[in-house]
Amino acid sequence: MNKTILKSFASITMIAAVLLLAGCSKEDPKKEDTPELITKATLVFTPSDGSAAVTVTATDPDNQGAQPIRVDGPINLVKNKTYVMTISLINGLAQPTDPAYDISEEVEEEGDEHQFYFSWTNDVFASPTGNGNIDNPNDAMNYTGGANSKDTNGRNLGLTTTWTTANPTGTINSNFRVLLKHQPGLKTNTSDANTGETDFDMTFVLNVQ
Amino acid sequence: MQKQHLLFCLLFSLAPLCLWSQTTCKELVKGRVWDEADAPLSNAFVSVDGVATVSQPDGTFSVEVTCAKFHQLVVRFLGYRAVSEKVSADRSLDIHLQPDQQELDEVVIETVAEKTETAQNFSVVNEKILEANAGKTLGETLKDVPGVNAIQAGPGIFKPVIHGVHSQRVLILNHGIRQEGQQWGAEHAPEIDPFIASNIVVVKDASAIKYGTDALGGVIIVNPPNLPRINKLGGAFQTIAQSNGRMGTVSGMLEGGLKNLAGFGWRLQGTPKRAGDFHAPTYQLTNTGLSETDFSVATGYQTEKVKLEAFFSHFQTELGILRGAAVGNINDLLVATEREPPQGTLPFSHSIGEPRQDVRHNLFKLSAELKSGTTFWRMNYGMQHNARQEFDQRIGGLSKRPVIDLVLTTHTLDVERENISQSNTLHTTFGASMMAQSNNNIPGTQRIPFIPNYDNFSGGIYGIIKKEWVKLMLNAGLRYDYRSYSVAGFDFKNELYTSSLLFQNVSATLGGNYSFRTGKSFSSSVSSAWRPPHVAELYSLGTHQSAAAIEYGLLLNEQTNEVIDIKNSNFKNEQALKWVSTYRVKNRKLLWEATGYVNYIFNYIYLRPTGVTQTVRGVYPYFRYTQTDASFFGADLMMEWRPSPHMMVSPKVSLLKATDEKNNDFLVFIPANRYETVFRWEAFERMKLKGFYAEARILFTDRQHRAPRLLSVRQINEANEAGTDLFANDKRNFDFMDAPAAYWLVNLSTGFSVRSQKVKYDFRLSADNLFNTAYRNYTNRLRYFADELGSNFSILLKCTF
Repeated sequence: MNKTILKSFASITMIAAVLLLAGCSKEDPKKEDTPELITKATLVFTPSDGSAAVTVTATDPDNQGAQPIRVDGPINLVKNKTYVMTISLINGLAQPTDPAYDISEEVEEEGDEHQFYFSWTNDVFASPTGNGNIDNPNDAMNYTGGANSKDTNGRNLGLTTTWTTANPTGTINSNFRVLLKHQPGLKTNTSDANTGETDFDMTFVLNVQ
Repeated sequence: MQKQHLLFCLLFSLAPLCLWSQTTCKELVKGRVWDEADAPLSNAFVSVDGVATVSQPDGTFSVEVTCAKFHQLVVRFLGYRAVSEKVSADRSLDIHLQPDQQELDEVVIETVAEKTETAQNFSVVNEKILEANAGKTLGETLKDVPGVNAIQAGPGIFKPVIHGVHSQRVLILNHGIRQEGQQWGAEHAPEIDPFIASNIVVVKDASAIKYGTDALGGVIIVNPPNLPRINKLGGAFQTIAQSNGRMGTVSGMLEGGLKNLAGFGWRLQGTPKRAGDFHAPTYQLTNTGLSETDFSVATGYQTEKVKLEAFFSHFQTELGILRGAAVGNINDLLVATEREPPQGTLPFSHSIGEPRQDVRHNLFKLSAELKSGTTFWRMNYGMQHNARQEFDQRIGGLSKRPVIDLVLTTHTLDVERENISQSNTLHTTFGASMMAQSNNNIPGTQRIPFIPNYDNFSGGIYGIIKKEWVKLMLNAGLRYDYRSYSVAGFDFKNELYTSSLLFQNVSATLGGNYSFRTGKSFSSSVSSAWRPPHVAELYSLGTHQSAAAIEYGLLLNEQTNEVIDIKNSNFKNEQALKWVSTYRVKNRKLLWEATGYVNYIFNYIYLRPTGVTQTVRGVYPYFRYTQTDASFFGADLMMEWRPSPHMMVSPKVSLLKATDEKNNDFLVFIPANRYETVFRWEAFERMKLKGFYAEARILFTDRQHRAPRLLSVRQINEANEAGTDLFANDKRNFDFMDAPAAYWLVNLSTGFSVRSQKVKYDFRLSADNLFNTAYRNYTNRLRYFADELGSNFSILLKCTF
């Protein structure tokens, strides 16, 4: 009697052991597309008079890694001139043919839940005046110059904006901050730079001379 | 029927023959019978090997029987649960009878004794406490136990903390199987429906050597009720309605046997639970609803010698996380912490949006127990399938895609042999356990996985010895464990890395219990335990839900963040030395218990703030898994004083002091000191109305005075702009916000039972946070964003048949 019981016990244990050993093995991990990763941001200031555009690029070599962002120099604008500024956000880990490559396109498609906000120091612009709309959403801004200046609801988006530099004697240096907020379900006529989550936040050096 | 009678008569008539054939050696079985208040119980029916007597006025009895290794003792008294056990004649027996309140209670005592044979310092969450907490999650229910707390991530996520340690350092056994989920996250609660338990045992010393590694802080053992053995249909249904969150819980259980198969039993059990947005005293907590559906099926067959069981349970929950807690960089965090009510607060709703978690856990278990003489063989096989998805607010229509999508499959096998000596005083147990596990990221999250894919194969062997004398019990145990990992994941550059790791070590425990004659006892144990690191601690990369911080694993290079070989790192296994002692006094009117403990953990793994990094999303502080030595000193005090048969006053105190010994610093998320008193009034039992009670619970939680330094977001920003590194020369921990102030809470509860011949009805009404106090709890991760829950009124109806 005991022997049979012990035998059946041993066989149940064996079956369980086989299940255990045969049971699992990890799969080879698959490489993910990472459409939210922004590794490169480019600001292009195109002057209205047809002269050469001013381009500045910020690159984040390791994204979530501990290394800081590299910016290829200050933004040097000429005084008393009007520029149309466009922003392009690129995911360098994706292939250029991949839809995940151009993040700014996605921001445009979801314009009704995104907005760019700007701030600057030292009154470098004649238009808009003031210090930008990060501290107060009603401050002067020119969400004009392109189809993606506004979203489908006619609210400000800011992938394209228009700027006129001041007319200083000598050079003014300014800290020019570009902030992109993701405001799903939160973007309204009164939403501000503190609404929603931050998708992009960089401060550039901007000189007008 | 005829046959049975015949057999019975036959056996009965043969019994004297057997006795006759033996020598006439006689011995006395002596003992004393006590009631629940430890008063001697006279006139109790006592029978030893069929020889009957009644207890004397002082509760004592003695019966002369033929010599044998074991005698079958039965003690009965009207209104009390019968005791039936195997005893030996070599010592005087103390038989404590318990009032027969419910049939289900019977199970509690048995299983508790069985599951904690090697532990000295444990607390039992019995059926009564479970019932009083019905509708709460497992982690929240366990907060009733002195020395146990919870790390919270909103109203629905509670992660148990024993004596200040949690996550991978607390082992949870569900139906005898080690619970394997994604335990690395502070916002990942155990996937267990508390309604499946008949009692929960919290072992607070690390002596639970038979359960394996990881029990540095303790073990939580979720015990199911025993299966029925006879063909009698029984069950229980309960409904709990709760005002806060408009939560509704229904739980049902049915059990029975088979007509033609004695010893066979089955049980079905299920719990649906729904809640909408909870509310703080002055505002809604938008997106904190939950939707949970659990069920289980158990079946078993039991004879004198064999016990077989099969069990399956399914747990599924969808949990919303406060909308206002969804933050990106630290400036978002700053804004969120300064906003009250939190951003995105809307009127009440049942809908659950992002951020949210969707968790499923299946457990299948097969177990067998064989008894051969005084030897028991036990086998437990468990298969667990854990799927976890976490969703965040994302751009590009990605919100519907999970950020984290993991499937963890675990097989465990435990085999054990226990031998009880002839005199019933020496227990020796040997066992082996194996675990095979695989963790897979489900492709399609469109984000670099936070933790890699891995295979984990673990094995262990152990031996435990326990010796009992009349007043003294000593036990010792030794265990060896082995764990291997094979890892494959993607680093920050989205490039593949693979590695193989191996860890092994030994655990040991030594403990004893001494009982004084007057109902006093002292127990003490010393144990050394270790745990292999979790893959998440080694390879984590990135941010996860509402943390506003980037986390890097131990095996990522400090400068380049590239994955390094463990041989090139200075990683050492985490090892704990824990000493726990308890002094217990029990007499007619007073029960009190004082526990003191020291837990010194060498190479304690924790997340240390290491710097600030800039991404295009702005500034993020980053944390690296680092090792230090940590100590946890504490005391738990508990008292139950009954000044009259109606009244009970029960104070409880949990004190803890945790220190980072290497850096002479404080640790984060250490529960603050807690003081609690329960005043309870119970009515005498009438004909049908039973167990009427009214209870007030007053709780004081102190401010955590030993919280890490404060480094506000503004300070971090200013330092970052000025180009100073706050963390280069100051290795201390920090917190974005001060520890919240101390608070008082008052909870009330009242209830009664009505019993008809076959059905028992329970009613309960309770009010939590009666005065709608606005407060924040230090160990709630959402304390940065919102207050805790406001007042909550709940009603419970239960019928048992």
